[in-house]
Formats: sequence, C-alpha cells, structure tokens
Amino acid sequence: MLIGIDVGGTFTDGVVYHRNQILNWAKEATDSDNLAHSLLAVLDKLLMDIQFDEIERIVLSTTLVTNLITTDSGPRTALILIPGYGLPFDSYDMAPDSFFLKGCIDFRGNELEAPDYNEINDMIRHLQEMDITRVAVAGKFANRNNSHERLVQHIFAEKFPQAQVIISSQTAQQLNFPRRAYTAYLTARTIEMWNDFLDSLLKALADREIKAPVHILKADGGTMPLDAARNSPCETIFSGPAASTMGGLAITTGESKNSVVLDIGGTTTDISLIIGGQPLHASKGAKINEQYTHVKSFAVRSIPLGGDSVLRVKGDSLQIGPDRVGPAACFGGGSATVTDAFNYIYDLDIGSVSDSRDKLQMVAVSLNIPLTDLCHQVIQVILERLKNAISAMFKEWEQEPAYKVWEVVNRKPFQLDRIIGIGAASQVIIPILGADMKIEHFLHHCSPIANALGSAVSRPTLTVHVHGDTQADLYTVEPGGKQGQLGKKRSWQLEDIKELASRHLEELALSSGLASYAREAQFFREEQFNVIRGWDRLGKMFEVGIQITPGFIEEFKGVTE
Amino acid sequence: MKNKPTGILFFPAFDWAISPTHPEREERLLYTRDQIFEEGIMDLPQISEYNPKLAQIKDIARAHFCVPDVAAQVTEAHLVSAGSTLVIADALMQGEIKNGFAIVRPPGHHSMTVSHGNRGFCNINNEAVMIEYLRQKYHIKRLAIVDTDVHHGDGTQDIFWHDPDVLFISFHQDGRTLYPGSGFMEERGGPLAYGTTINIPLPPRTTDIGIHFVLDNLVMPILEEFKPELIINSAGQDNHYTDPLADMRFSAQGYARLNEKLAPDIAVLEGGYSVETALPYVNMGIIMAMAGIDYGNLREPDYKPERFKESPQNMEEIKGIVKTQLNAFKNRGEIVARNRAKNMDFEVIHKNIFYDTDYISEDQTERLRLCKNCGGFRVIHSSAQHRNAKYYEVYCISVPGYCCDSCHQEGISMYNQMKNKSSYDFIYLQDRIDDQYRSFDISKETETVL
Repeated sequence: MLIGIDVGGTFTDGVVYHRNQILNWAKEATDSDNLAHSLLAVLDKLLMDIQFDEIERIVLSTTLVTNLITTDSGPRTALILIPGYGLPFDSYDMAPDSFFLKGCIDFRGNELEAPDYNEINDMIRHLQEMDITRVAVAGKFANRNNSHERLVQHIFAEKFPQAQVIISSQTAQQLNFPRRAYTAYLTARTIEMWNDFLDSLLKALADREIKAPVHILKADGGTMPLDAARNSPCETIFSGPAASTMGGLAITTGESKNSVVLDIGGTTTDISLIIGGQPLHASKGAKINEQYTHVKSFAVRSIPLGGDSVLRVKGDSLQIGPDRVGPAACFGGGSATVTDAFNYIYDLDIGSVSDSRDKLQMVAVSLNIPLTDLCHQVIQVILERLKNAISAMFKEWEQEPAYKVWEVVNRKPFQLDRIIGIGAASQVIIPILGADMKIEHFLHHCSPIANALGSAVSRPTLTVHVHGDTQADLYTVEPGGKQGQLGKKRSWQLEDIKELASRHLEELALSSGLASYAREAQFFREEQFNVIRGWDRLGKMFEVGIQITPGFIEEFKGVTE
Repeated sequence: MKNKPTGILFFPAFDWAISPTHPEREERLLYTRDQIFEEGIMDLPQISEYNPKLAQIKDIARAHFCVPDVAAQVTEAHLVSAGSTLVIADALMQGEIKNGFAIVRPPGHHSMTVSHGNRGFCNINNEAVMIEYLRQKYHIKRLAIVDTDVHHGDGTQDIFWHDPDVLFISFHQDGRTLYPGSGFMEERGGPLAYGTTINIPLPPRTTDIGIHFVLDNLVMPILEEFKPELIINSAGQDNHYTDPLADMRFSAQGYARLNEKLAPDIAVLEGGYSVETALPYVNMGIIMAMAGIDYGNLREPDYKPERFKESPQNMEEIKGIVKTQLNAFKNRGEIVARNRAKNMDFEVIHKNIFYDTDYISEDQTERLRLCKNCGGFRVIHSSAQHRNAKYYEVYCISVPGYCCDSCHQEGISMYNQMKNKSSYDFIYLQDRIDDQYRSFDISKETETVL
C-alpha cells in the first residue's frame, strides 16, 4: 500500500494506491499559513479504513520551501563569496547581505590567490555584531578545490560557533558558480524551517503510530528518504510540477510516446514534456526568483491560468484571472470562472449548469454581449494561452545547446503525439484543446488526483558525478562534495573512473536504504580528454555521470482505467 | 538596440580533432568551457545562448570551389562550425541580438576560394560562408573583416581579394617569422579592389600597446572611412603571450579592449592554441567586452602589466607601418581607376598554394575580367594531386553577387563553353546573382546544380 500526498498551491491531494487500484483519495484546500495542517487533514482522511501496518511507503511533495523562497521568508542570512578573477563583483546580486573575500582558484583546482585571514576574521566579527548566524560560503571553482570554503567554515567554527555555515561545494559540484552560490544561500536560509517541518511531520506520524518510511519528492521526479532530505531543502522546490509529470506518466504507463502533460489546477497550469517516455529535464537547473539554481528539475512552464481563474470586467473588457476567489459557480462559488464557461457552452453537466449560466450572464450583461459570445471569447483566450505556452516549451527544447558533433547531427524535430490532461479542471478543458490542436488527448479517471498518484509511486533517484584530472591528481564527487587524490600509481582509464562513480553511487544508495535501486543506474555522461602539452600526453581529464533515472517503484503495476 | 543581448554560440566540438596530439584537438575549448560555465555568464540577461545547426552544402558552395565536391572537403564538424556562424548571423539580422560571438571549431581563415584539402588547420572558411549567406539572404553589400588572429588570414584574403565591397584588414605576426609566410604590406587586393585588403605585419613580441596603436591610428580610421554595414572580427586568440605557436605579447585585457573599440557585429573564433593559459581568459574577455560587461576584474593568473612594455624599436616599426598603410588606403581610388583604364580584357595571376596540413601543392592561374562597370568576375584554373593520389584539374568561374549584367552573362556562357573541354575533370560555376552553383563532371558528363 503506497500513499502519496501533494501539497499544492490551491489544493492538497492525497491517494492510497494498492495493486492496480486507487483505494482512497482526498482533496482539501491548502492552508498556506499551515501546510502541515492541510497535509495531516488529507492524511487522516486517507487513513480511514486502512490498516497502518500495510502502508509500505508515504511520499510527500510540498511547496513549503518554494513558498519560503518566493515570499523571501527565513532568517537573515549572509552570503560570503570568493569569486577571484572574472566577472565584476556587482554581477553577483543574489542576497542582500553579501560579502566578498580574497582568494582565487582556477579550473584545474590550482590556488591562484591565497585567502586573507585578517579579512576573514574582520568579516566574522562584523557578522557577530549584526547577529547574523546563518551563513553560506561560495567560492568560484570550489567544486574543483574547496580548501578556501573549508578554511572559512573552520574559522567560523573557532570564532563564531553559533553560526551555521553551509559551503557551496557540499550543495553542488557542477560548474556554475552563481547557481552554486545561490543554491547554498537558499539552503542556509531554509534549512532550519524545513527541518522543523519534517520534525512536526514525524511527530504527527508517531502520534498516529505509523511506522512506514517517509520519502520526499524532488524536483527531478524522484524521491529521497526523509533523513537524506534534511540537508537538501532546495531539492524540493518545484516538486509539485514534478509530481504532475510523474502522474502523467503513471496513468499512461508503458508507452513511449512524445507527450505534453498539462496539469490544469485551480489557479495555475503546469506544462511539461515527455520525450520518448522520459520527462524532459531543464538543462540549466531550476529557476526561482529569476535566479538559476543547481537543483536538477524537470523542464516545467507554469502559467497563471486554471479552472477557477475568475472572470471579471475591467473597464470595458474581459479579464481572466490571474487569481481565484473560490470554486467555480457550478460548485457553489460566488463568481463566474473558466470552468463555468466550458460547462455552459459544451453542456458538460458539471455541478449546477444553471449556476454557471447565472454568474456568466452577469459578466455578459456588464460587457453588453450575448452569453454565448462571452463563453466563446473565454474559450478562445484559454486555448490561445495554452497553445502559446506549449509552443514556447517546444521552442525552448529546440534551443537546447549541443557541444558535440553527433548531438547536432542526430537532433530530431519534436513530433507531438498526445496531450495528457491531469488536474481538477483537465476534464473540462483538455478535450476541447485536443480537438482544437488536432492532437489525440488522454484523460483518466485518476486525472484529477494524478499528481498525488505520481508522488505515491515514484521511485528514488540518485545522481553521482565524478570529475577526474590525472595530471592535477584530483577527483571530486557529487553529491557530498568529496575531493581527493586519484593517486599516481597507475594509469587511469575511463573505465576506472566509471567504476569509481558506480561504487560511490552504490555506497550512497546503501546508506540511504536504496540499495535495491542501485542496479538500475545508468551512465549518462562519459567524457575523457587528453591533456597534451607540446606533443606529450601529460594526463587525462574525465567527466562521468551515473544516475538512477526517474521511474516507478516495483510495487507499481499501473492503474486500471 | 541597447537592451538587446549579445548572442553566444559555444560549440567546442568535443568529438572532433585533426589528430590526437594536434593543436586542433578535443581539449582545445575544454578549459574555456569550464571558465565560461563556472562564471555563469550564459545565465546573465546580457547574454543569449544559441545552439548550433548544420550548414547546407549550398552554403559552402557559395564561398568555395571544393574539389571534387563539397562532400569531399567537409566533415559534419565543418558543417556544424560553419552553420553556427549562420545561426548568429540570422539572430543578428532578425534583431534578436545586438552582436554575437561564435566560439566554434574547426576554424577557417586559412581556407581559400579553391579547397583541395586542409590548410593551416582549415578546410572551410567560416567567415566567407557567413558573408555570402548574409549577402544572399539579407542583401548586405559592404562588410569589413578584421582578422585579429596572429597568423595572416590568407584564406579570407584570397576569397575577397577582388571584392571592392569587402574590406579585409589583417594584423598578424610578420610573415617572415610565422606561418603562412604571407600578409606583407604590398598585398593590397586585386586590380579593381586595390586598397580594400590591408595587411599589418607586426614585429614579434608586439604588446597591447603596439596593437592598440595600430587599432587607434589605422584600423579605426579606415573603418570610419569605409563605412561597412557590418564588421566581422575573425577572432583568433594566438597573439596571446602564452601561445605556443607564435611569439606575440597580447593579453586578455588587450583582446577585451580591442573588441570594445572595434565593436564587431559578429566575432568568429579562429586560432589560439594556448588552451589552458590564454583561451579561457581571452574568450571571457571578448564575451564581456561585446556584452558591455566591465572586464576590469579579468586577467590571467600570471599577468603583470609592467612586464609588457613595447620596445622602442617595435614602436618605431609599427608607426612606419601605420603611416604607409594609411596612405595606401587613401590612394586606393586612383590606382583602381588606373587599372580599369588599362584597356585589357583579363588580368592574369599565377599562384602556387601549399596545403601544409594535407601536404598538397596546388597550381593556380587566376584571371580577372577588368570590367568597366563593376569589380569584374574571375576564373581560376587549378590543379593539384590529392592525398589519395588522384590528380585533379578543374576550371572555376566565380560570378560575384554585385556585378554587372555583362559579367554575369559572360560568366554563364564561359561555363557552357568550357563543358566541352576534355582536358579538365570538373567545371564549376558560382552564380551568386541567381544563387546557383553548378558543377560539371567532364568524364561522366553529368551536372550537379545546388
């Protein structure tokens, strides 16, 4: 028995999945001031008539961290940057309390400029005076050599032990200093509230005597055990859209078509692409508050448009959304919404069609147009916005950079086979959109709660990345930021680095209780370069990536239609 | 215009090399990749990243006579590299970007009009392919190419030698001391395009100071007068003080300031083989300068400005070059008029071209029609033995896009006459007015039209 709960912006959805069946589901309005409360309300509804000891796993996707970040909440946090040479310091405008330190590392991990101890001590004193105890430290090329970051962390531990210091090389190892710095900053700022939330969740489960393991859904559509999630709050941003995408995959299991998944909720629509059965990832990492991060995420586009988007008259013209004032009129809401327009004109028989008509009529009168014209106008606008957003997604995908000849030669144009509709308002809008675009559409009786199903049945993902440089005698491993010496005893080959990466993945999987998934891991990046100076080969550089890709846990066998 | 981003197309061709230890190898842009990715410069709003695409065979045929055909001279890597410059050209002309930089390999500026093989690491001239594309698609007429590679851009010079509407300026380390051994001051363009080729052979060990003297006192005034619609920087990076193949003393800051002054509409990477100590910094410098980002914090780890003083002898020599070439440019109209008045049909030039990479020796006889009304059209008789031992003798007719009707018609009729000459293997016609590229295989009696 698998439980999935998705705490979204408007609704919190939950399902209980067992042997091809949705045993139970629940939907509650989300109380954005108390997410834990909404979550537990849904959980208690789901747990009625269920034997707790039959629960194999609970997966949670939550907007908590996303909300904290987008509302600029959290304790005052200092971002300490060690950028060295390159872009001017004013390009790093990420955090109000930013500080710059001397020190410079190059791409091979060589120290070009040493840190200045006096400067570090002065800065620490300054933070003490300002009573800032949350700190993120980020150095350019710290992913190749983190000694400067570790030195600063060490001096903090000595001089200002109350400070909680996060270093960027431990949050991410990929290239891109601003993304790494911002990810470290967001981690430092949200980690305490995130852990408080997890603690209150664990307590609530203990109160209910539920012993099933709890996983958290990540932005890349995989889950992570709760303990592993404690240190990486940022991994959970955009897990809502990831839940939708996985839900879209779950209700169409076993097919490798090119699809667009549209999750049409109350106020927003999340759009993602599935290419040959695999969700498309954002090559640049998740973007939040107009800043890129190193969080691995699906490529998702959100538009402020949902089934409950309210219809208003502003001046002489019709305005659709972007907000929601309550449910659609047909479900007893006080205002006409997008859903009401579809309901009336296509005779969908949802809730009370007469309530839809009455509220729409009021808008039509204000605009001085016939009721049917109003509905057609609304539908036209909705279809246009959705189609524009979908084509923008394609365009973005086609613009993905390529760095190898074969990638350019083998690029294929994207052929859309199908639209998968999920979310509360999908049943209303998707068939009309499909007909308009002349593309097959897919709806399932689970569509309204497919996001929660996606959370419930997703398997864990894990990515390990190893950078090796035999000349500099250096290797680094992500996640965790381990940096070490390869040793000069032997001539390292690509196969050896692959084995190193594979071993790290296995160890990591074992320590987080995911051992059974380790054999599913696949290499997604294998690069080697000869380091030649003059006509001699002085060494080799390697980039190897191995991952357990998004997918479903073994217990998932599809859902009967 | 001001708020538009700078377009960057980064194509390091991580799976292409001339040979494993050759300077043109996979590793060449590896550290540049590390530097620009780690800086996160592609994420800035001032930058817009573009992705590569393949050039069409026809795009290549617009600029080159490939022997025996385009497919024999280009690999997919060449098509991607050339195609990438076209992506940037389109982005610029469609108003998406204020300027653009194609950081691509393989390079191209040693590749000439006729291509029998690889010369100086180049098979296909990326800039020339891009310029013919810009002319065909966007009707651009006047362009300037400033070749800032340490080696003389002899391929580009050859292609635009007779074109009065393309100003080609190359500064480079003196040909007496460096490959390809050309690019002397007297090389100033064909009889009807005299003065629109300007060579600036600099003494070895010229520094930022010397190069910027040339820029301020020669290159910029000439550009000012020529008034090109677009400026292209053929952006080699081997004037850098750490380059292993050359002996100049230019710095990353110097390159950045050069691009700030020159303000090229499009820059295309050419050579530069100091893969670790120059390229990451120089490429960053060019991107920053083109995007209007302050590059004051950018420098090489070992850069000490006080080490880079221009010697008085060098400065003396540079001042002399500037004076001579400024005069030559000013007097160009007179000389072209004199040549045009010569009252002869065709001017004949004999050449021997050596392909160092492929070890091919080509014999050429080039004839230019001294037209009264336009820059004339040219025919090239070329023969060479390829590496596969095949000997080719070909006849090429090149009709420019901006020529008079009489030159256009005569070019076409010459092609039709030559099809009966059994002494040749192939007859080619580049008809840029009709955008048609014909090739006639004499032994098979078959014609290919692109």
